[in-house]
Amino acid sequence: MNLRTLAGILLTLCLALLPLVAGSYWISVCVNVGLYALLGLSLNVILGQAGIFHMGHAAFYAVGAYTTAILNTLYQWPIFAAMPIAGAVAALVAMAVARPIIHLRGDYLLIVTIGIVEIVRIALLNDVGGYTGGSNGIFGIARPNFFGFKIVKTVHFYYLVWGMVAVSILLFYGLWRSRYGRALNYIKEDDVAAEGCGVHVTSYKLSAFVLGAFWAGMAGTLYAAQMTTITPESFNFMESVIIFAVVILSGGSILGVLVSAFLFIGLPELLREFSNARMLIFGLAMMLMMIWRPQGLLPPGPRRYHVAGGSSGPRDAAGGGAA
Amino acid sequence: MNIWKRILAGGALCAVALGLASPALAETIRLGLMCPLTGKWASEGQDMKNIVSLLVDETNAAGGINGKKVELVVEDDAGDPRTAALAAQKLAGAGVVAVIGTYGSAVTEASQNIIAEAGLVHVGTGSTSIRLTEKGLPLFFRTCPRDDAQGEAAAAAIVKGGFKKVALLHDKSSYAKGLADESRKALEKAGVEIVFYDALTPGERDYTAILTKLKAAAPDVVFFTGYYPETGMLLRQKKEMGWDVPMMGGDAANHQDLVKIAGAEAARGYFFISPPLPQDMDTQEARHFLEAYKARYQSVPVSVWAVVAGDAYKVVEAALAAGKTDPEDMAQWLKQLKDMPGLTGKLGFDEKGDRVGEFYRSYMVDEQGKFILLPQK
Repeated sequence: MNLRTLAGILLTLCLALLPLVAGSYWISVCVNVGLYALLGLSLNVILGQAGIFHMGHAAFYAVGAYTTAILNTLYQWPIFAAMPIAGAVAALVAMAVARPIIHLRGDYLLIVTIGIVEIVRIALLNDVGGYTGGSNGIFGIARPNFFGFKIVKTVHFYYLVWGMVAVSILLFYGLWRSRYGRALNYIKEDDVAAEGCGVHVTSYKLSAFVLGAFWAGMAGTLYAAQMTTITPESFNFMESVIIFAVVILSGGSILGVLVSAFLFIGLPELLREFSNARMLIFGLAMMLMMIWRPQGLLPPGPRRYHVAGGSSGPRDAAGGGAA
Repeated sequence: MNIWKRILAGGALCAVALGLASPALAETIRLGLMCPLTGKWASEGQDMKNIVSLLVDETNAAGGINGKKVELVVEDDAGDPRTAALAAQKLAGAGVVAVIGTYGSAVTEASQNIIAEAGLVHVGTGSTSIRLTEKGLPLFFRTCPRDDAQGEAAAAAIVKGGFKKVALLHDKSSYAKGLADESRKALEKAGVEIVFYDALTPGERDYTAILTKLKAAAPDVVFFTGYYPETGMLLRQKKEMGWDVPMMGGDAANHQDLVKIAGAEAARGYFFISPPLPQDMDTQEARHFLEAYKARYQSVPVSVWAVVAGDAYKVVEAALAAGKTDPEDMAQWLKQLKDMPGLTGKLGFDEKGDRVGEFYRSYMVDEQGKFILLPQK
C-alpha cells in the first residue's frame, strides 16, 4: 500500500511537470492518454469493480460528445454547462438500454453491449432528428471557457483532462472504499452469494452501469471540446474494444488503468518511428503482456482494515471477499 | 511493481528524447506528408508515400529547390480522425513549411485546425467534402475536386448517356453521401427522374437485399457513389442475380482492385467518372512520371488519390522554387496559380483554395477488366 501511495504521488508530480519538458506533440498524446484513462476509469466501475462484461462503452462516450456538440452549436451552451447534461443524457440512455439486459450473464451481455455501440453509431450516421449531421458529423464546437479563462492550447487541455482524471480518481477511490464498492466486488466474485447476503444484485449492477455511462458522457464532452469536430466514425466498435482492453489489461485497479491507458495510447505513438510496422510491434507487446501477467498489470490488492481496540471484528470480515 | 515502473521510466525517457529531437536543419526544406499507412486505407497511404518520395528524390537529384535539399517527413494518420489530429500535431512541431494530405474528408478535417493554428500551408489530397474549403481557412488548398464539381460532372455523363431513370445509392460516408446529394440536385435540374435514393452499409459481404430493392425500382442506370470494395461486390452480385442494368460510379471506384473483387466479366461495361490516372494521360509530365514510377516500384499507381498527392507536392515545390517560403506568401502565390502542368492535368487554385479547371473524365471497364479512358468530347 505504501509503495502504491508513493508511486501515485510520483506519477502525479511527473504529470504535473511534464508540459515543462515535453513538446506540444507529446502533450497532445498525453491529452489522449488522459481521455482514455478517464474512459477506462468509468468502465472500471462497470467491468473492473462489478464484473459486468460491457464492450459498448463508446456508445455512451458518443452520446456525451454529441449532446455537448448539439447543445453548444445549436443552443450556444458553454461547454462546461453542457458537461453535466451530457453525462446525464448518457446515463439516461444507459438506464434505458441496460434495464432490460442487466440480468444477462458474461458473454451474453457482452454481445448485447456490442449491439448497443453499433446501434448508436448507425443512428448517428442516419442523422437522428436532423441533429447529428449524419456522416459529416458536427463541426464548429466552441472551446471551453473556465471562469473567463479560454481553454485553447494543448497545454490547457492537458491540465483540464488530467485535472478531471484526478477528480475522478478521488471519487472512484472513495467509491471503492465504500459499502457500495464492496457490494460491487461481492457481486463480481459471486453474485448468488451476494444476493443471499441481501445485496440487491440487479439494482447494484444497474447503478454501476449508469454511473460508468455518466462519466463516459462527460469524457465525451472533453473530447468534443478538444477536437471541435466530431463524426460517428470516431465512436466505432474498435474504440469500445480499446477502452475494454485498457480495463482488462489494468487488472481492475485505478493505478492499473492509468498505466494501461499509457500503454495503449502512448505506445503506438512511441513506435511511430517504425512507420507501418508499429501496429505489429504493439500487438506483439500486448501478447507478451498477456503471457507475462494474465491477471492484468496491477490487480487491486486485498482489502485491509485496521482493527481499532478489538471491537470491530464484523467490519473486517465484510471486506474479505476481494482477491 | 518493478516491471511497470521500469516501463514507465523507459516510456518517459523516450518521450522526452523524442520530444526534443526534431529541430529543423537550415540546409534542408522540410515538407510534411500525412497519409494512412495503417488501417483500412493503407494501400492508398503507401502509394501516396511512394509517389511523393519519388518526386522528392527527383527534386533532390536535380539539385534541390534553389540549392536546398528537400526532406520529407511522413506521418501515419491511420485513416482515423483522432490519430490524424496527433499526426498533424507532430508535423506542426517538426519544422515543416507545408503539409500535404490526407485521404478521407473527415480525417483531413480533424487535422485542418491544428495545421492552420500552426500557420502552415496545408494541401489536401483525397478530401472532396465541400465544407473543407467553405470554412475560409486562408492557408488550406486541395488538389482534388470538390463533391459538387463531381456531382455536376456525373449528372452530365448521365444525361449524355441518355438515361432517363436513375437509381442513386451511397454508403453513408461523408464523401459518398455528399456526391449522391450533389448529383441528385444536378440531375433534378436537368430533368432526369430519380427513382431510388438510399444507402447500403459498407463492409458487408452480401448486398442482394439492396439489389433486389433496386431492381424493383426499375432504373435505367444505377449510380453507386461509394468506394471500390462495395462497388466490386455489387457488380458481382448483380451479375449473379442475372440483372444487366448498367452501373456507374464516382471517383472512389477508381481502383484496380474493383475488377479483382467483381471479376472481369461482371465488371465489363461498368463506367465511372474520375480525374484521369497518369497512365491514361498523354501529357509529357504524366509520361515522365510514369516511367520513373515503373522503374522504381515495378508497378503503376492504382489510385488517382495517391497521384493528386504528387500534384500537391508539385505545387508546393513550384511555390518554393518561386521563392515563396513564407506560408502567407506561398498561399497568395498558389491562389494566383493557373494552368500549371501536373500529373493529373492542369493545376490552379481559386480564392477558396479549391482546384480550378476541368479534370473529370469518363472511364469504362473493357473485356479484359482494364479501365479505358473514354475520349473527351
